[in-house]
This record gives sequence, structure tokens and C-alpha cells, in this order.
Amino acid sequence: MAEHTFLLPDLGEGLVEASVLAWLVAPGDTVERNQPLVEVETAKSAVEIPSPHAGTVARLHAAEGATLAVGAPLVTIDAAAGPDAAAGPGIVGTVPDEEPPARRVRLRPPPE
Amino acid sequence: MSETSHPADAGAPVLWHEPAGAAAAEGPGRDRPPVLLLHGFGSTAELNWGRTGWLRALHLAGARTIAPDLPGHGRSPRPHAADRYTPARLVEEVLRLLDALGEPRVDVLGYSMGARLAWELAAGHPDRVRRAVLAGFGPADVLGGPGSGPARQAGPTAPADDPFEGPFAEVFRTAAALPHNDPAALAACARGQAAHPFTADPVPEGVPLLFAAGERDSLAAGVETLAARVPGARVVRAPGRDHRTAVTSRELRSAVLEFLAPPGDVTHGDRTRAARPAGR
Repeated sequence: MAEHTFLLPDLGEGLVEASVLAWLVAPGDTVERNQPLVEVETAKSAVEIPSPHAGTVARLHAAEGATLAVGAPLVTIDAAAGPDAAAGPGIVGTVPDEEPPARRVRLRPPPE
Repeated sequence: MSETSHPADAGAPVLWHEPAGAAAAEGPGRDRPPVLLLHGFGSTAELNWGRTGWLRALHLAGARTIAPDLPGHGRSPRPHAADRYTPARLVEEVLRLLDALGEPRVDVLGYSMGARLAWELAAGHPDRVRRAVLAGFGPADVLGGPGSGPARQAGPTAPADDPFEGPFAEVFRTAAALPHNDPAALAACARGQAAHPFTADPVPEGVPLLFAAGERDSLAAGVETLAARVPGARVVRAPGRDHRTAVTSRELRSAVLEFLAPPGDVTHGDRTRAARPAGR
């Protein structure tokens, strides 16, 4: 096991901070990779932040309602051994899936 | 029909739909219809349903999903004519997408403007809808009500950037400021919607409805009154949440997943939380 502190990821859209709406995990919880950790609220929307690691939640670094800057410590996880443990913070929602690339559907306009 | 003879913005809008992780068609969900997700004004399928965890939760529940970017939004074309965005026109586009995908019947989940479309879809085409969830939505006509003004400013001199007042103004300003959005297309969309104010008559018949909204969502004010007009319709409210933050609410998501669970699936619910090590 190795401790990894997960930082508030880049939320896109030029957003520089977010506030914690609700924690979905507590210290001691076992989490899977990609499992939602926390709901955060930005000036534009609410998003869910998935865990980049499998492991055990060691510490939460912000209380519900607190505002965090992008890059500030969010949660520390005792990561399970494995390739995931080396993953760093990415852009929110970009924890890579194991799923194959999606098929794209783009409809043509109907004949007129 | 080649694309060059029909540039994206010259003909009817076309919808961008990128299936994501839709393979989970085993277990009790294998016979359920796919879930059609219709995002809110100024949002996209990814922002409304991807980043908020809805797609993953639905896939874990065994559902296939269809989540298009509506015309004027995301990667779909962005015409600037209001008549391309009337509720009837948008519903037509959605039906065309379902036809192209070969889906005769769906569950539909809409947020805000998408919920208005879900209502129209259920009311006008009950044969295509098994169940409908209308989230972040109420009977107040936020796009065309008093003070919102877009219908009256629909002429060529209408300012494209911020033509709205009232509760919708903040939604519009927030959406128009997002770097991926086209304010002129969004203004046209708002005018197209406002030209046909919502009426609760006729109500959808034969399609079970669930209304879901944050308790503090001013755009969903009066949803209980609306639901009372629809036989069998239910309302679920998320404590403390508003129009922006209700979309990630666990309370709403659990209620929606349960409502959409196929008959006989007793394990419905939100599976995005890891199972606790209870007894094993």
C-alpha cells in the first residue's frame, strides 16, 4: 500500500475552483478505480469526481461546503498495488475506461 | 444524400450521438429498452450526463443509453434560425435518431429543456416511450413567461448575446459564457422554445412519469401541481439542491434508477458505490 493524495483536477471550461457538495466516501472506505468519490459544484455545474485509484480512503482534505482551488489536495487514498497506483490527477471525468472506443453516430439530413 | 449537398447548417439539424459503454446488456436489464437522455439548455450530453455520473450509473444498472447533443449544442450543428428549435422540431429530430438506431421504444430522461422535450415525446408518441423522467422541470414557462422576453424580441434586431430577463437569464448567461457554446445558436434555441410555451394539456397518457428536482430549484417551482394533473405521476425532491446541483444528487439518481429498473430487477439502485465488505 502506498499513500496517494489526489488533487482537485482541472475541471475544464476555465474553472479555477470548486466547492464540495457532498462526499460519497468516508475514511476507511474501500474504493474501486472509477468509483465516484465526491460531488463538487462549480460556477457552471455540478460534477462527480471518480477515483483514479483502487484502495482505501485515508483522509478527506476538505469539508462539505468548502471551496478548493484546482490542484489543492482533495483526498488521500492508500492505493492498492498495481498499475493504477501510479496514475496522477487528470482532467475530471477522464479516468480511462477499459471499454473499447465507442461507435459514433451522425445522422445525415433527410432528403428534402 | 451527400454531406456536401447538405451542409450541416443548411438542412435539418442532425444530432451528434456518441454511444458510451453501452454494452452492459446482460442480467435483468437485457430486455429493458435503452434510456434516451436529453440534456438541458446550453449543456451537452457529456456535461449533463457524463461528468455527473449518470451514464456510468445507468450502464452499471444494465441499461443501454442514447445521449445525443441536441441541435445548437455540443457537437451537433448550430443553426441560427429559431424555427429550427421549436419543441416539435426537436422532438422530430430525436425520433429520427431513434429510427436511425432502430429503437422502437425507449425510457426517456430529460433535464430542464430536455424534460420539456421528454414530456412532448411522451404526450405525442406514447408508443415510443415506456417510462419518462422529467428532471429540473416545472410548469412555469421559464423560456416564454412574463419578463423573459425572447418571443417579443424575436425579430432581426434581437440582441443575440443576452436577450433574457427573469429566472432564465442566469441559465442563459451561464450557458452562453461556456467556451464550447455559440451564443447566437443558443439565443435562437431559446426563441424557438419560447415561441411555443409549455402547456400541461394534453398530459401524457399511458406513460408512467416521474418528476425529479432539487428542493431549491426555482425553475421547477410548482412541479407538484403539475404532477397532480397526471394520473399516477410521482415527484421526488433532493434536499438542499438547486437547478445546477440537483443533477449529481444521490437521492434523485436512486429514485430514477429504481423508477427505470426493469420489472423483476430487485437489485436496482445506484451501483456506482463499491459493495461494502459485508460478510465476505
